[in-house]
Amino acid sequence: MRKFESIKGYLLLLPSLLAFCVFLFYPMLETIYLSFFDWNLIKPTKKFVGFSNYMELFTDATSLVILKNTLLYIAILLIFNLVMPYLLALFLEFIVKKGKSFYKAVFFLPSVISLVVGSILYTWIMNPVSGPLSFVLKKVGLTMPIWSTTQGWVIAVLCIITSWKCFGYNFIVILAGISGVPKEVVESAKVDDVSMHKIFLDLVIPMSAATGIYVLIYCIVQGLQFVYTPIKVITQGGPNYASSNLIYNSYHEAFTLFRTGTSSACSVITVIIFMILLILEFRFVERGIYYEN
Amino acid sequence: MRKLIATCLSASLIASTLITGCGSTSSAGSASTASAAEATTKTQTQDTTDTPAAESTASTDTTNTEKTVIEYWHCNADTQGGTTVEELVSKFNAENDHIEVVAKYNPDMYKGLMQNLQAEATTGNTPAVVQIGWAFLEYFSNNFTYTTPQEAIDLYDPESATFLTDNFLPNVLDLAVNNNGEQVGIPYSVSNPVLYINEDLLTEAGVTDLDIDTWEEVKAASELVRDNTGKYGLYIQEPSDFWAQQAYMESNGAQLLTANGDGTFSATFASEEGIEALQTYADMVADGSALHITWEEGCQAFVDGNCAMLYTTIARRAYVQENCQFNVSTVKSPTWGDKERKIAAGGCFLAITAQEPEQIAAAWEFEKYLYSVESMAAWTIGTGYVPPRKDVADAENGLKSFLAENALMTPAIEQMDSVTKWTSFPGDAGLIAEQTLLDARDQILGGQSSAKDALESAQEQINALLSP
Amino acid sequence: MKTKQEKRIQIILHVILCLMILLWLYPIIFAVCNSFKTSQEALNHVISLIPLAPTIDNYVHVFETLPFVRITLNTLFIAVTVTSIKLLTSFMAAYALVYFDVKGKGILYFLMLSTMFIPFTVSMIPNYLLISKWKLADTVFGVILPQLADVLGIFMLRQAMRGIPKSIIEVARLDRISHKKTMKEIVLPIVKPSLCSTGIIFFINSWNEYVWPVLILKSKENYTLSLALQMFISAEGGTNFPVAMAVSVMTMSIPLVLYLFFQRQIIDTFAMSGIKG
Repeated sequence: MRKFESIKGYLLLLPSLLAFCVFLFYPMLETIYLSFFDWNLIKPTKKFVGFSNYMELFTDATSLVILKNTLLYIAILLIFNLVMPYLLALFLEFIVKKGKSFYKAVFFLPSVISLVVGSILYTWIMNPVSGPLSFVLKKVGLTMPIWSTTQGWVIAVLCIITSWKCFGYNFIVILAGISGVPKEVVESAKVDDVSMHKIFLDLVIPMSAATGIYVLIYCIVQGLQFVYTPIKVITQGGPNYASSNLIYNSYHEAFTLFRTGTSSACSVITVIIFMILLILEFRFVERGIYYEN
Repeated sequence: MRKLIATCLSASLIASTLITGCGSTSSAGSASTASAAEATTKTQTQDTTDTPAAESTASTDTTNTEKTVIEYWHCNADTQGGTTVEELVSKFNAENDHIEVVAKYNPDMYKGLMQNLQAEATTGNTPAVVQIGWAFLEYFSNNFTYTTPQEAIDLYDPESATFLTDNFLPNVLDLAVNNNGEQVGIPYSVSNPVLYINEDLLTEAGVTDLDIDTWEEVKAASELVRDNTGKYGLYIQEPSDFWAQQAYMESNGAQLLTANGDGTFSATFASEEGIEALQTYADMVADGSALHITWEEGCQAFVDGNCAMLYTTIARRAYVQENCQFNVSTVKSPTWGDKERKIAAGGCFLAITAQEPEQIAAAWEFEKYLYSVESMAAWTIGTGYVPPRKDVADAENGLKSFLAENALMTPAIEQMDSVTKWTSFPGDAGLIAEQTLLDARDQILGGQSSAKDALESAQEQINALLSP
Repeated sequence: MKTKQEKRIQIILHVILCLMILLWLYPIIFAVCNSFKTSQEALNHVISLIPLAPTIDNYVHVFETLPFVRITLNTLFIAVTVTSIKLLTSFMAAYALVYFDVKGKGILYFLMLSTMFIPFTVSMIPNYLLISKWKLADTVFGVILPQLADVLGIFMLRQAMRGIPKSIIEVARLDRISHKKTMKEIVLPIVKPSLCSTGIIFFINSWNEYVWPVLILKSKENYTLSLALQMFISAEGGTNFPVAMAVSVMTMSIPLVLYLFFQRQIIDTFAMSGIKG
């Protein structure tokens, strides 16, 4: 009887597992396999090259640029999608008391819009010479940097575009996390004349840390993938790789230069980085939940 | 059991997702859902039968046995003759009783099309007729199987044996000849770069001679624009190809690729002249008289009066003409002093990539239709390209009246004698070589390195790729 | 006194927030306004929002040059199918994870969660080759196939099911009510709100998807809305800006309408995904 039960259980799990295996886990193994070969998608034979694709990645000057860019992307994404939503959430929860659900609804709104659409809109709004933003800046006496061809700026702007989509999600998640902090604790601290920033730093943030870490990791893992779309639509990784990151580079190597080996090696490295994050997430977030329950 | 859950679940889902509110009563929801789902499918089917194009796609692998279905791959977006492609194809389909052409658009221009073609090869399929950008002539002919136009003619249309020599000038036909001397395809879209001028802005800046002939004059005028109006003087197009820069450098006496005489080639763009040209432009960018920006943004800056001169393809004529609110004119591609003007032909040729005899025959029949005087005229009007074929410009059913009305076209047609081949790097590494050159351009214009350093290192890298 | 001052500060804060919101929503307003301008006006008067000579030509143009109805139906078909299948597989898996005592549950759940951390580039090439091999390239099914299951759904529904008091299920077990019946008559009605909002999220995500369809879909007739946009951008002939805006407006209208109706549920569901692991 029990055995029969558990077979039923597996049967229910089967469709999901099968889908994951065929379209995620198996491809992952194949990508690892491909990363040891020199191939261009159409040649009938793949040439085994051992670790040389990886060696190339580690020694190539471009990879260094891409790695640096990836870190810069992460840093800026974290500012826009972790720090700023955190501040806004604290602000709405503890300082502005009314209209929380209205603000939530509005800030989340762009999250339902396609990133392709967002990218197109922003290329026009942020056109450094002719766009409305540059017009306004000119009025106040500033010249907008020609971001689409300037190192550093290009990443910042692409991050802003991505954040338009991601901000809302992270914001409501953080807000929910903060709402979980017992009000009485905060109130009694206020009565004891503890300053606001101390309350935030010493009380609220530690008590919502599980959420914070979740958003931090989500921000890195999803953010780097989300940013792919504006890169593809606006800069194609340029100028001179200044806006490329690990994810875009995998695509670029595979479908622009047709070097599947290098592309796969780059993907494998990305996976390794992400897996480390996964383990961290399990350590901190999942454990936090069991604790909560 | 599972079937039951499936029906019940999916029904309630679609319902709640699309029609009713969440948490409303379930039974009513599910009922209306099933019919809603059905309705969606129905519209889907209906639509399929309504659209002729859809029908033909479907018939590729199923029933239709009477008509040969061939695919035509192009990269003409809506603003660049996309509508004309549709018109030409549907006219052909309407008149022809045994061939059905399906046109497929490829984004990201010729590079995008090349990538799609390579990706498509993994599926074991190939389109029948493709547009190949000039820069990919070598890469295409080295890596893909194709039928040359003359082979197709000799096999399936022997009466037209002299079609090519009868209708095309030898220097135009030459554009589609690869390094092995083979006529890979037939030139189809031919463009060249011209300088668009905002006459009002230049006058405002104090430029008196608007008939600009040389890059030296362009530089001087740009500086005047910057100093007297605070706007930008010049933008040279920089999409993901090196076409405009090639004309700019080669007109100064540089040569991007040189034949060594033994069948091999070397990149030679890091010559004194090449470096001088790009450095001049980089300096203009650095001192604020020229713009370094994406193509789209650059064209917009010209159209809304923020940039006085635009060096770009004649294919942008319609866009400029329709959107500018000032007096605009075009002049021939400037020269450096009294050196010879050398401009690369832009656009593409048509190649036959069909594999089956029946498909090849159909591909040729379609191509022949595209090269007729009427089709060529429609193509020129729709795209702004220069006709590659003889007799189109003067023919009554051709372009005569169109050219009379669109004076901006004239310089492009007049400078056709200066047209050279768009450099196409040979061998497997063609795509990577092209990319290396683009990266160098970005480094130079972005001010990260001097023209000398960037071009020399790019040349070294490309030569390493080219040497066997 | 103090309260009055506090009130004033509150009002100022709300004004600041509202200004932020205007900035936040500006791109949407910008798109809608420009989609009713002529190309010349859009390029030359980029600041002014109200069109001088409003026109619907841009929308007409889209319908004339693209099989737009069909493209919308493709998008809808993909989104509905993907949503339905994902919800079904997620519901089944979640049910098994919560109510069945299967061995290795922990590991299986970990494996499923780990899929969130696999970047799409990893499966991109092999999946592309697979879909090509199965002759599904350039079909909507090629887009649908790799998206049959989603850990987000499993996770949300598992969460919802764990919220159901154990005793109810235990009573059902003791009464020898079959799993089928428990599922349909007890669990399904309770988790329905979660099912709904997860479904809406799947729908919106699929509607907006770009990365995978752009690799798979090649012909106009098979395009989805996200791809339709590229017909009008960055080509040799120049972008037709107001037309691109018109396509953008139409592309985002459906998710926006859905959002306006189900705003609260969507926000609550998303908010849940963060706290309760």
